[in-house]
Amino acid sequence: MAEEKKNSVEVSEDEVMAPASEPGGVDEGRRNLLKLGIAGAGVAAATAGGVVIAKKLEGIPHDETYIPIREDYKPFDGRSLMQAFASSKQLIAKYPERVKAWEREVRKRDSKWDVVGGNAEFRKGKMSDVPGFTQLDYALSHGAWHTQSKFHGPAYGTNVGLFSWAQSDVAKNKWKFKSRLEASDTIKSAAKLYHAARCGIAPHDPRWDYHPLYDPVTEKEYSWEKDFPFKPKSVIVLLSEMDYVAMAAAPTVLADATSGQGYTDMANQAGSMAKFLRGLGYQAVAAGNDLGISTAYAVAAGLGELARAGWVIAPELGPRIRISKVYTDFDFVEYDNPREYGVTSFCENCKRCAVACPAKAITLDDKRTFEPVYEGAEDPDYTWNNNIGVFQWHSDSKKCWQYWCESGSSCAACIAACPYNKPDFWHHRFIDAQNVIAPGWVHSAMREFDILFGYGDINNPQKIKDFYKSGRKL
Amino acid sequence: MMDLTWYLLGVLTGISALMLRYLAARMQLTLVTWGGLLAGIGALLFCIAWAVGAYLEGVPRAAAMGLLMFVLGGIVILTVTARLIAKQNRDQQGGAS
Ligand code: SF4
Ligand code: SF4
Repeated sequence: MAEEKKNSVEVSEDEVMAPASEPGGVDEGRRNLLKLGIAGAGVAAATAGGVVIAKKLEGIPHDETYIPIREDYKPFDGRSLMQAFASSKQLIAKYPERVKAWEREVRKRDSKWDVVGGNAEFRKGKMSDVPGFTQLDYALSHGAWHTQSKFHGPAYGTNVGLFSWAQSDVAKNKWKFKSRLEASDTIKSAAKLYHAARCGIAPHDPRWDYHPLYDPVTEKEYSWEKDFPFKPKSVIVLLSEMDYVAMAAAPTVLADATSGQGYTDMANQAGSMAKFLRGLGYQAVAAGNDLGISTAYAVAAGLGELARAGWVIAPELGPRIRISKVYTDFDFVEYDNPREYGVTSFCENCKRCAVACPAKAITLDDKRTFEPVYEGAEDPDYTWNNNIGVFQWHSDSKKCWQYWCESGSSCAACIAACPYNKPDFWHHRFIDAQNVIAPGWVHSAMREFDILFGYGDINNPQKIKDFYKSGRKL
Repeated sequence: MMDLTWYLLGVLTGISALMLRYLAARMQLTLVTWGGLLAGIGALLFCIAWAVGAYLEGVPRAAAMGLLMFVLGGIVILTVTARLIAKQNRDQQGGAS
């Protein structure tokens, strides 16, 4: 008995191992370990997913070939800018075949609209008792355009007002930055001070400049080599944000008002930035829609991606932006890269802008092309306003212009309807985050949900009332 | 208003965590039921944040649709999970007796 006691191991009650199959047994321990392992793996997967999403939201960097161009691509002729052409008596007289082809397509749509008189018609507007087109709405719009018109001139003017090419105020001393990063940071901080919503810096790229430059106001043609005051090395691109509530009232004059304010902001911001650089001793010229293709430069500066409707969609701001530029000979900067934000793949499945467009000016084709494919595009005299050779969705902006003239507002229904046009609320950022990793069919579903949830509806008179109340708490 | 919502959601998340701890101490929870509980509670909390956000931006329809979709989703998930927990615990008790 004593021997028995000696050989046995004394184990306290607490230390007694539970049977393997009971809770707290060996299997249970293993199971808990497994659960912990699975939970850990879940957390790791969620973290990895979060990192991927964060990277994609930041945009995947590309090089300068990000906008594909065909070998025979030639820089765009400034005389072929649709609005510049439509407002220029000389160009209309010089290219009668363009007017003829344009009129032919207009008549096909059973319209009597006058191509030549269109510009004057648009300037007059269509004031009436219709909500969104009343005296109140036009007065608001004229107020928004006022600074731009007074200090610059028409939106497509070249070498005028704040966008003048004069370099007489360039400081003698050249300010030296310690590093390229410091220079870029300083320029972007100045942009913030001038109320730009975003700023990017791209190397100057002659592919995106107009050749030749043309000012429809003075009917003057300019050459980069002979007339422009310096050889540009960099282009600073600034985005200004348009008002969400006013834009939601599209296609009324309220949308035109926020566009007008956007143009005023463009002139102010680019004008100030150019003046700042000249004060640092470098040559600089501010530009709005003139000098070069704003959308291409915005993409080159990493600020957004080219969308179906022809404009740029910027992360968080969507298409509700205006773009201005500053051409400068300053190049001691850290350039930004073009970035892919998933817009192109979303646009392939969305098409909401094309459906919303009252003029049917935006293509419904799934994929981008190097040439326009809209009705009448087989005639080169009709596609003069398209940037042929660039891989993108080519809109027929002549139809858009006709609608503007006939309706008396600059429409913007495409911007208002776009699912990327959202105010800055957390749930939209959440949707943005899932959109960057979702496959195409989810994008189609997201467009449907967007409609179902009540976003982006146009021609809604309530939106006009909402705008006039939106400043109450200011 | 949104700031207050985030604060309240934080409090609700804390309360949910305590409730889950209480439940886990008394019931046998499997990976599936844990997943169901977390997804269901997550959907309800998400729905509150969504509805307040959509209401504040002036799109009550989005708030209503959000409530409809996420609350329903959350309730369905929680109901199924609750039944599963009850069944598993019943089976276990049956097995033990
Ligand atoms: S502004 Fe209006 S007419 Fe022009 S493309 Fe957009 S939706 Fe169409
Ligand atoms: S409405 Fe859709 S297709 Fe059009 S630009 Fe916006 S995301 Fe792209």
